[in-house]
Amino acid sequence: MQKKNNPLSPHLQIYKWQISSLLSITHRIVGVINIFAILIICIWCISLLLGENYYQFIQIYLNSIYGKFLVISLCWTFSFHILNEIRHLFWDAGIGFELRIAKLTGIFVFIGSFIFTILFYLTGKSFF
Amino acid sequence: MTFNIFHQRREYTKMAKFNLPQNSKIEVGKYYKDKTNSKNLRKVNVYRWDPSTGKNPRIDTFEVDMKNCGPKVLDILIKIKNEIDPSLTFRRSCAHGVCGSCAMNIDGINGLACIKSHTDISGDLNIYPLPHLKVVKDLIGDLTTLYKQYESIQPWLKVDQTGKEKIELKQSQKEREKLDGYYECILCACCSTACPSYWWNGDKYLGPAVLLQAYRWINDSRDGDKKERLKKVADELKLYRCHTIMNCTNSCPKGLNPAKAIGSIKKMLATS
Repeated sequence: MQKKNNPLSPHLQIYKWQISSLLSITHRIVGVINIFAILIICIWCISLLLGENYYQFIQIYLNSIYGKFLVISLCWTFSFHILNEIRHLFWDAGIGFELRIAKLTGIFVFIGSFIFTILFYLTGKSFF
Repeated sequence: MTFNIFHQRREYTKMAKFNLPQNSKIEVGKYYKDKTNSKNLRKVNVYRWDPSTGKNPRIDTFEVDMKNCGPKVLDILIKIKNEIDPSLTFRRSCAHGVCGSCAMNIDGINGLACIKSHTDISGDLNIYPLPHLKVVKDLIGDLTTLYKQYESIQPWLKVDQTGKEKIELKQSQKEREKLDGYYECILCACCSTACPSYWWNGDKYLGPAVLLQAYRWINDSRDGDKKERLKKVADELKLYRCHTIMNCTNSCPKGLNPAKAIGSIKKMLATS
């Protein structure tokens, strides 16, 4: 039977998103973003070494609306990645595979990431 | 070195193919208007592809009289085939969720048409074949690769006995209970074709259905080949393409947990 010209049945286009699959793809995207985030943190650290002017430049940028948006978003990406990675650690130990528990921990991770973001932001604020 | 880079780039372009190829783009098909003058109508959109025409696949819409129709999705399909369009093609056999023939994508999630109630689904009913398979006709996908992969895990009992012994191979109740939740698998392929990892790496990654079966044989107390089985499956592509997306467990019509089976294999490999 010729199978070369047979069409491929639709996949991503039609498959309904589940909580678990949404969190999984978010985990991946956020992981990539975090690599760049670490780069930004490194640049910030280097600016400290290079002297006051360079530091001031970055300080001004991070205090602008765009900078604040960036910092708060990165707080979220990090907290989401950390929390979901804990979920993955439990899975590696063979715990939490049941559908109901996986869904619950998924929702917990999603809500928790926002709570963590707020906590990060508030602790940052009270320090500086 | 140059070859290596080239190779990797090819892998990348293959991976990033999220769109359907040109010959698989779905077109708008025919509209079958209701002829029974029923007041209780439901629109059913069905994926159609006829190999003899050479055209692209299309979505046909049927208006189905729900007053004289059974409760399951399969009842709708049989009704369409009997009363509206006899050329509609799909697999079905037992109609009781035991054979796994009528696995298809119903309302965006894979399942068995014979045990999925259409009353649970609101709005128009969308029926597609199992995702990311070569379509043979209409709702029938080609599962050859999956069956080959199933064969590769050697799904039969391997014993040290020669056949001349006069004692049966005994299994205690507790050892038998370890197979609960795994032996029930009917290989309908709902889980494997729901897995995005299997979509992108279906030729190398074994997929949830086959890995659940692999675990079923690894876990069998009577089997004498446990170590070899584990070794065979411990592969970057065969096993570790599973990223616990859990679409498999979400779609299993028998309520089994392939994600847990794969997790158990990974755990066994990490601790042995």
